[in-house]
Amino acid sequence: MLDENIVSAILGLKLSHGHPIPFLFTKSSELGKWVFDESVRYPLTKILIKIAQKYPDQKIGVVVRGCDERSLIELFKNYQLQKDKVIAIGIPCSQDLANRCRCERPFPSEIEDGEFAKPVEDYSDIEEVEKLPEQERFLYWMSQFGKCIKCYGCRNICPACFCPSCTLEDENLIKPGGMPPEIPIFHLHKAYHMADRCIDCGLCEEACPMGIPVRRLYRKVKKAVKDLFGYIPGENEDEKGPLEFLGDGSYELPGTGK
Amino acid sequence: MLSYETILTTCTYCGCGCGILLEVLDGRIIGTLPQKDHTITQGGLCIKGWNVHQFIYDQGRLKRPLVKRDGKFTETTWEEAIEEVATKLNRIKEEYGPDSICGLTSARCTNEENYIFQKWMRAVIGTNNVDHCARL
Amino acid sequence: MTNSIPELEESDCILVTGSNTTEAHPLVASRILRAKQKGATLIVIDPRRTQIARYADIFVRQKLGTDVAWINGLMHIILKEGWENKEFISKRTEGIEELKKELENYPPEKVEEITGISRADLRRIAEAYAKAKNASIIYAMGITQHITGTDNVISLANLAMLTGNIGKASSGVNPLRGQNNVQGACDMGGLPDVYPGYQSVTNETIAKKFEESWNAKLSRKPGLTIMEMFQSIEEGKVKAMYIMGENPMVSDPDLKHVEHTLKKLELLVVQDIFLTETAKLAHIVLPGVSFAEKEGTFTSTDRRVQRVRKAIEPLGEAKADHEIICKIAKRMGNDSFNYDSEEKIFEEMTRLTPIYHGITYERIEKDGIQWPCTNSEDPGTPFLHKDQFSKGKGTFFPIPYREPAEIVDEEFPFWLTTGRIGFQYHSRTMSGVSPSLQKEAKEGYVEMNPFDAIQLGIEEGEKVKVISRRGTIEIKTKLSFNVGRNMVFIPFHYFESAANVLTNTAVDPISKIPEFKVCAVRLEKIEEENP
Ligand code: SF4
Ligand code: SF4
Ligand code: SF4
Repeated sequence: MLDENIVSAILGLKLSHGHPIPFLFTKSSELGKWVFDESVRYPLTKILIKIAQKYPDQKIGVVVRGCDERSLIELFKNYQLQKDKVIAIGIPCSQDLANRCRCERPFPSEIEDGEFAKPVEDYSDIEEVEKLPEQERFLYWMSQFGKCIKCYGCRNICPACFCPSCTLEDENLIKPGGMPPEIPIFHLHKAYHMADRCIDCGLCEEACPMGIPVRRLYRKVKKAVKDLFGYIPGENEDEKGPLEFLGDGSYELPGTGK
Repeated sequence: MLSYETILTTCTYCGCGCGILLEVLDGRIIGTLPQKDHTITQGGLCIKGWNVHQFIYDQGRLKRPLVKRDGKFTETTWEEAIEEVATKLNRIKEEYGPDSICGLTSARCTNEENYIFQKWMRAVIGTNNVDHCARL
Repeated sequence: MTNSIPELEESDCILVTGSNTTEAHPLVASRILRAKQKGATLIVIDPRRTQIARYADIFVRQKLGTDVAWINGLMHIILKEGWENKEFISKRTEGIEELKKELENYPPEKVEEITGISRADLRRIAEAYAKAKNASIIYAMGITQHITGTDNVISLANLAMLTGNIGKASSGVNPLRGQNNVQGACDMGGLPDVYPGYQSVTNETIAKKFEESWNAKLSRKPGLTIMEMFQSIEEGKVKAMYIMGENPMVSDPDLKHVEHTLKKLELLVVQDIFLTETAKLAHIVLPGVSFAEKEGTFTSTDRRVQRVRKAIEPLGEAKADHEIICKIAKRMGNDSFNYDSEEKIFEEMTRLTPIYHGITYERIEKDGIQWPCTNSEDPGTPFLHKDQFSKGKGTFFPIPYREPAEIVDEEFPFWLTTGRIGFQYHSRTMSGVSPSLQKEAKEGYVEMNPFDAIQLGIEEGEKVKVISRRGTIEIKTKLSFNVGRNMVFIPFHYFESAANVLTNTAVDPISKIPEFKVCAVRLEKIEEENP
């Protein structure tokens, strides 16, 4: 693709110092260091936003799994990336990974090679919490949130978070400082904001140094949105998120005039 | 020229020694990512780590040697600065002896820099008056 | 640390004291909480109710500066109950009898009175720690920054040896160092009495080895510690000071004094990336580079030697610190400072340093190695003191309790303690210019108990005066039950409201670490001038 000038660069993982790390391949000669590692996931589509902001006219390829592709759809929808400037290079996940991720769609729409894994429909993580009596459920979440060190890692890594000014850092909503941050406001704000955007990739939970099951929370909220509005983020590009009509300003986007 | 790479390195804030990736777009650092497969880090950083790149391009970064003349700093060349430091240290060493000079190394610098610093104090200045602020 | 950070996860009892772990060492805190989730008992002993204390099975507040007393108290109970590890004591230690004698003076009633920790709690803690299979102790500056800092550390070691909780995976005594490469700075001989690898400057054979390699005559006289340096400047014995990448103008105790002292120097050279408060006092300032602009290694708190890699070219004309020093050394007439690369420096160092001997850039290309690593086959050492202590047998040192250098009285009725917060770093030279961090914690504050505030008629966010025998600062209040009554806490990061204007310069006689963690202050409302 690089040689044929279909794309000017491909964003993937490169083996560097023995570790797979994100890299933008611009020459085919560099592809020797190309790797694909099942267990190591970086938010490539989110990285792509930063590159595309500087190079809006370049067509760039990006390696995507199922979750990455869902995030691409969200990013197109929200004008963070231009669809005709991105070429997705699909890679399926193994069944093993799909099971571990409880992933409902462990493959992108098209794959370069390999086999499709079977979708996993497993909400046992949510059910486990749901079946607790109310008091205990409250305590469970409070004790989880109380561990938070306000690293913002769950937001920083999220391939569906992109607002230029984040409500989590809005002094009027959440007090600056604080370890843990104001609970549960900090976490509920995030959950609410992700409700119609979260594509359920689980990167946030992987990034949480304190082991807070944040994805579980977003999954629950997301499920509620699905049941209520029949909306699933990351599925259909032409469908807007149901919460958008609230117009809370979080969707102000740079350079889109929106 | 379109180029984006990540550089594998170690966080400079606390002693946990997290593995981080500095994101470099066209030769400029634009962000930090946690190293996913690092023994300690395992893909998670604290707020300092996530923002460790932010101070690098700060306006206040010193870019040239400064000397104080009449209570005010003026920029100078490396040659002049090195010359001045070396001459003055040599003079003080001769006049008052090596133990009249002392040095603080840094818990923020690399091992190589710390090694060089104490070697210089001990072998060139001739004193063991080397310490650092870690007691503090 | 005697253990590795990942090992902590497998401990079945963790005692955290004097460490606000979630804020100062977040990635260690994360392992502690994981251990807790796996069923470990978590004990937190701290004057403040820290974030990690909320997850403790047992959390107690000791009175400031009474650490030796509670540690001795725990050992007293352990011996009384026969919970000590007799096999470990007889095989691996010496001096138990002397310790036993000293410990007789610490019956629970007395310890309760000194420390404020109840007898029942002392017993619970002693039992949980002594009966655990793999118990770990974690401490930080809350233990070391006292005039009894060395005593505190030895006492914790006594406790660990008494119960055999050392020299195993997941079990040991683990100091968490403050700055990222403190471990490395010490390992590299950034100390007045040792060469790299803790080799004594007074040892003839060692000194000869370095003389040969460095081709120079070396002094056998141990040098001055930082506190002694300041003293000697006062006395006019030290004329020149060279500071590489440190900012003692915020981090030292009794700041007014430091400023006054530094101004006396004939020559002050500061090498830093910013014009810090200290650099402003210098005669010559040389621009160094950040970690992103150079190659090298850092050694983390668990002795892990890891690579630092250059991501960008130095800004402006700035240079890496070792380059600057090499230039000066050469200009001073020494020709043994020619290195083509950082790797060459590292190689010279490892040749001379047994504990680093087996480490090469190539071996740490992928992942770090923990020292001691003595040869090229040695995989490194995740935990120390496996079969024996560095000096053979571990010695118990009986430590009597001593009061802090300054205690509260009528004039200064509040205890002041200082510490770190998670959003800032040390003297803030780096974190203070990082928008994301600065946004979270712009200014300093004094944390006080709401009940005390009511009594003094002080409100949340009000600016008050905090006064000690050494100085006064004005600072905003923050009310919180995290501090107990009659006690206040100030983060030390801020120059504008520097806690260290207030703190005591009294130092530990051995470590020379100042007593940052305890002093006496009073709080005053600021009267409005034009009502
Ligand atoms: S799972 Fe987490 S990281 Fe992934 S989209 Fe949802 S909120 Fe973002
Ligand atoms: S990643 Fe975890 S600790 Fe960090 S802000 Fe999110 S929930 Fe809090
Ligand atoms: S990311 Fe945070 S915990 Fe990790 S080394 Fe940096 S400052 Fe320490």
